[in-house]
Amino acid sequence: MKLPLSWMRDFVSVDAPVEEISRRLSYAGLVVENVEKLTPGFAGVFAARVLNVEKHPNADRLNLCDVDAGQKGQFKVVCGAPNVKAGMMAPLALVGAQLGKQPPLEAAIIRGVRSEGMLCSERELGLSQEQAGILALGADAPLGGDVAAYLHLDDTVLDVEITPNRGDCLSVLGLAREVAALFAARLRAPRLRAAHSAGSPDGARFTVSVSIDAPDLCPRYAALAMTGIKIGPSPAWLKRRLELCGMRALNNVVDATNYVMLELGQPLHAFDFGKIAGGKIIVRRAGDTREFVTLDNLSRTLDPNDLLIADGDKPLAIAGVMGGLNSEVGDCTGTILLESAYFEPMTIARTARRLGLRSEASYRFERGVDRAGQVGALIRAAELIRRIARGREASPIADFEPRKAEPREIALDLGAMESLLGAAIPPTVARSRLKSLGAQVSTRAKGVLAVVPPSFRSDLAEQADLIEEVARLGGLEDIPALLPERVNPLAPVNREREFLKGTREVMLGCGLTEAATIAFIAPADNARFSGIQAATRPVKVTNPLSAELSELRVSLMPGLVTALRFNLNREARAFHAFEMGKTFRMDGDAATEHHHLAAVSYGAYALWAIGEHSVAAGFFSIKGILETYLEAIGISSRVAFKALESADAPFLHPGRSAIVTLDDAPIGLIGELHPAEAMRLDLNDPCAVYELDLSGLIAYGFSPRKTFQPPPKYPAIRRDLALVLDRNFPADMVVKAIRECGASLLESVEVFDVYEGTAVAAGKKSVALACRYRAKDRTLTDEEVNRIHTVLIEQARMRLGAELRQ
Amino acid sequence: MMREQLEEIRRRAMAELADDAGEAQIDAVRVRVLGRSGELTEIMRGMREVPNAERPAIGQLINQIKGEVEARIETLSEKLKAAALSKSLNEKRLDVTLPGMRIARGHLHPITDILEKMLQIFESMGFEVAMTQDIEDDFHNFAALNFTPHHPARDMQDTFYLEGGMLLRTHTSNGQIRVMEKRRPPLAVVCPGRCYRRDDLTVRSSPMFTQIEGFMVDKRGRITMAHLKGVLTEFARAFFGTTAVRFRASYFPFTEPSAELDMHCILCDGAGCPVCKHSGWTEVLGCGMIHPNVMRAVQYDPDEYQGFAFGMGVERTGLLKLGVDDMRLFFENDLRFLSQFPALSGGVR
Ligand SMILES: [Zn+2]
Repeated sequence: MKLPLSWMRDFVSVDAPVEEISRRLSYAGLVVENVEKLTPGFAGVFAARVLNVEKHPNADRLNLCDVDAGQKGQFKVVCGAPNVKAGMMAPLALVGAQLGKQPPLEAAIIRGVRSEGMLCSERELGLSQEQAGILALGADAPLGGDVAAYLHLDDTVLDVEITPNRGDCLSVLGLAREVAALFAARLRAPRLRAAHSAGSPDGARFTVSVSIDAPDLCPRYAALAMTGIKIGPSPAWLKRRLELCGMRALNNVVDATNYVMLELGQPLHAFDFGKIAGGKIIVRRAGDTREFVTLDNLSRTLDPNDLLIADGDKPLAIAGVMGGLNSEVGDCTGTILLESAYFEPMTIARTARRLGLRSEASYRFERGVDRAGQVGALIRAAELIRRIARGREASPIADFEPRKAEPREIALDLGAMESLLGAAIPPTVARSRLKSLGAQVSTRAKGVLAVVPPSFRSDLAEQADLIEEVARLGGLEDIPALLPERVNPLAPVNREREFLKGTREVMLGCGLTEAATIAFIAPADNARFSGIQAATRPVKVTNPLSAELSELRVSLMPGLVTALRFNLNREARAFHAFEMGKTFRMDGDAATEHHHLAAVSYGAYALWAIGEHSVAAGFFSIKGILETYLEAIGISSRVAFKALESADAPFLHPGRSAIVTLDDAPIGLIGELHPAEAMRLDLNDPCAVYELDLSGLIAYGFSPRKTFQPPPKYPAIRRDLALVLDRNFPADMVVKAIRECGASLLESVEVFDVYEGTAVAAGKKSVALACRYRAKDRTLTDEEVNRIHTVLIEQARMRLGAELRQ
Repeated sequence: MMREQLEEIRRRAMAELADDAGEAQIDAVRVRVLGRSGELTEIMRGMREVPNAERPAIGQLINQIKGEVEARIETLSEKLKAAALSKSLNEKRLDVTLPGMRIARGHLHPITDILEKMLQIFESMGFEVAMTQDIEDDFHNFAALNFTPHHPARDMQDTFYLEGGMLLRTHTSNGQIRVMEKRRPPLAVVCPGRCYRRDDLTVRSSPMFTQIEGFMVDKRGRITMAHLKGVLTEFARAFFGTTAVRFRASYFPFTEPSAELDMHCILCDGAGCPVCKHSGWTEVLGCGMIHPNVMRAVQYDPDEYQGFAFGMGVERTGLLKLGVDDMRLFFENDLRFLSQFPALSGGVR
């Protein structure tokens, strides 16, 4: 809300500098976002009456005028404007006047006649580009008075951010009331009484009938007919005020309704009375009415619950949102009907939102206008229209209120206030703060006030609201800053957080940098990186920002490869990163979220130094990271890596990828990107990735072991064996088979070499294993171990159908 | 006669075992003097011809010379070895200024870094951490937080809706509802998490961002607005290292009274600059006393319980703290930016 201080001063006088007004408003919840100081573009221009106009003796198009500038004197001025007339008030620039950046005005001889000043157009005063004629000042302009002051050109405009609860501050009067309360100044609210001239002098009277069919949506509707209207431009001062508040001037009637809305907060609407069938207003739901053409000449589709203003034949306006083309006030309108109503905020919000139509009026109705302010606003508007459009009241004010405002008395327990704020505010202070806001305050019981909020504060509904008002008007400065007693002597540990923190720690230690990517992605990326689960259905966003961001990610992979590409495009040679974040998918009809961990590793990875070979990222380097992590959680013995069917993850290299299982249930994928995918991303080297669903792992956490063993007392004896197997036979199956032989005293089995080449048959490989034997109670002898190992070799050979390599 | 011979052997040996004697020369002396058929051995063999009375003296002299030569050889050999070692050490010298061989440790994402620091401050004040969901229903994201169906405040938080009727939370305040629904006071909880609003990714905004919601609830009178001010002032002191803060009345549907916490603008330290619109202050977070309607929504009796709640944007606060001014930096994952952040989570403030 733009607040010109000159307008505010119509209602309250405060001496404080503008900085202090801004500061106090901001502390009280009305943030002043900007302070604009305006200065007029001219000086030495005075309001003058044109007394006499006669032709210039030497020029047809020029006039010679006698003008009276009150105390400044009378002057003879040459004027070329076609609109100059005897009797009009106009701005007179006298000798020495400063107009814009021009040199000071001098007396001039124009076609042989001396001109002692200049009557100015809007353009000459720098007000607008208008230069068709001189600016006509209102009849109320003070003779000889400074035009800049009269037009409020010397002004300061505050831009105040109004929170949604403070509809009452969407007006100059409302903000003036706040300022008065904050500075303990008196508010000069306008006294609004109906005018005497009810009825036009020519005897024509109009009857206005109002029928409210939807009192639930419109509890009050007031209207007034005015006739004798002469549509035309508004006076400059009024236009100026509208413009300072960010509104454009249109014509005097519309401007008057907008002026009253800005001043009092009550939106008004003017209909062309002649276009209302039978002078009858019906406030009803749209029902069967489906279409309506609004002022902007667009056809709007209505919802049956939209509230309409109609006559007996047709709709006239979408209540509180926009008027109709069919009853618009135009240049020929002579009689108008002014509407001033209270519409329920919810219905206006719903309709305005659905139609995408936000107006100054709907904005105020949505936030709740003064529940009792309708008639006052009509009176104020009528007064203005009389003054600026020659209108006369042509009917009594029709005022219908089928649903009365509920009486609102709220008890304010001062003890409760103290225990909520943690500060004792003296009862007299609380009382005077509430009164300054327009509330009626009385004592209900000892320590309890009875507060009736003013009709314009619909946001004050219960005790907490009143406490806020009291605290707010003190700028919250009555309240000290104290530390509470601890609620938790020791804050309980959140396992999920600890787990995610530990996971992050392992990843950092393995050399991966943490990345963060946005959860919205393109459907093509979800199709390409289809996640851990086969046939995952992505979650669609109903109202996405764009088609490229229309789904939620099922995998963290697209974000990470994008980040990889981003860095390679910026001179990076390697990129090793991980992300922990949520992924989303449809489970049946429900959208679900899952904690995932994913990593991407590209380029030189480990142990780089000058003169040394670095390890390039690949399947085994990233598998090592994952193994380190699984060991850290203590679940590595339950995790297996199984070669992947290429259809399960088409983005992975079919021969260099695996599914990761925990107790045989899939929890992740690991592998190098498919060469086709790498080519799409323009990668020259292998790019290794993995993705893990952490949901199932969080339960394991990084919980420490419960039991421990001392290191063994007796040495182990190692015996090796090498088996020749089919090339594709997985190594972990060999180890498993040997363990299953159940040799006594066998402590561990490890693969230490794999050989393929001329020494074994084509399609075969040799797997070398180290077996360690150990007894708990003695040092084993060679003979004992040889006996066990020989049996083991025989059993393993048979179990695996393998040759022993000599 | 024999004595002169011995003296001659000693003199010659010692002369040859000069300071600059090389390994070959030393070996030659050792063999000639001390060897199995060396000069001293030869003389020992000739002892029979020495008169009995002189034998002990000659024997002693032989041993003396032997000892002297051996000691001299030992000294020279040590010296030679030391010289050889020193020569070889010199040859194996490295350029110690070359980089070491290492697996570089990864770096924390700045959002994590900032979030962890914030959480640690609240944990040290006795708050527990609760993790809550991103996919939410209207009740937990809006209705229970006192947003009526067409509440104008909903416009400030343009919401993403999902197929199936759910939405993405627009703030972590849903955490307040989720935790309070399940548990009874006293509670002191912070809920971190991602939030989503329909804003494009720009210098100032992102469709996905991070927030921390915090709240404390207890019996009426035990947690007051003064405590809200105390806890958040302490937070600002710990996190930003400033005591230049102010509380300003504001409005949120779910708190009453509501306030915003401002701190001195980091750029101008309160003097006023274009970034803070010449006010000298920047907004840090929103807070207030939990609205009675929120209490009612989670079946708490508002006459029995009260408490405060606050919420802050991690990226926004991070921009203030880090002194950078582009939201996109957080989601581009540019290593040249990320590598400036610590490689250890938490711990150091
Ligand atoms: Zn600043």
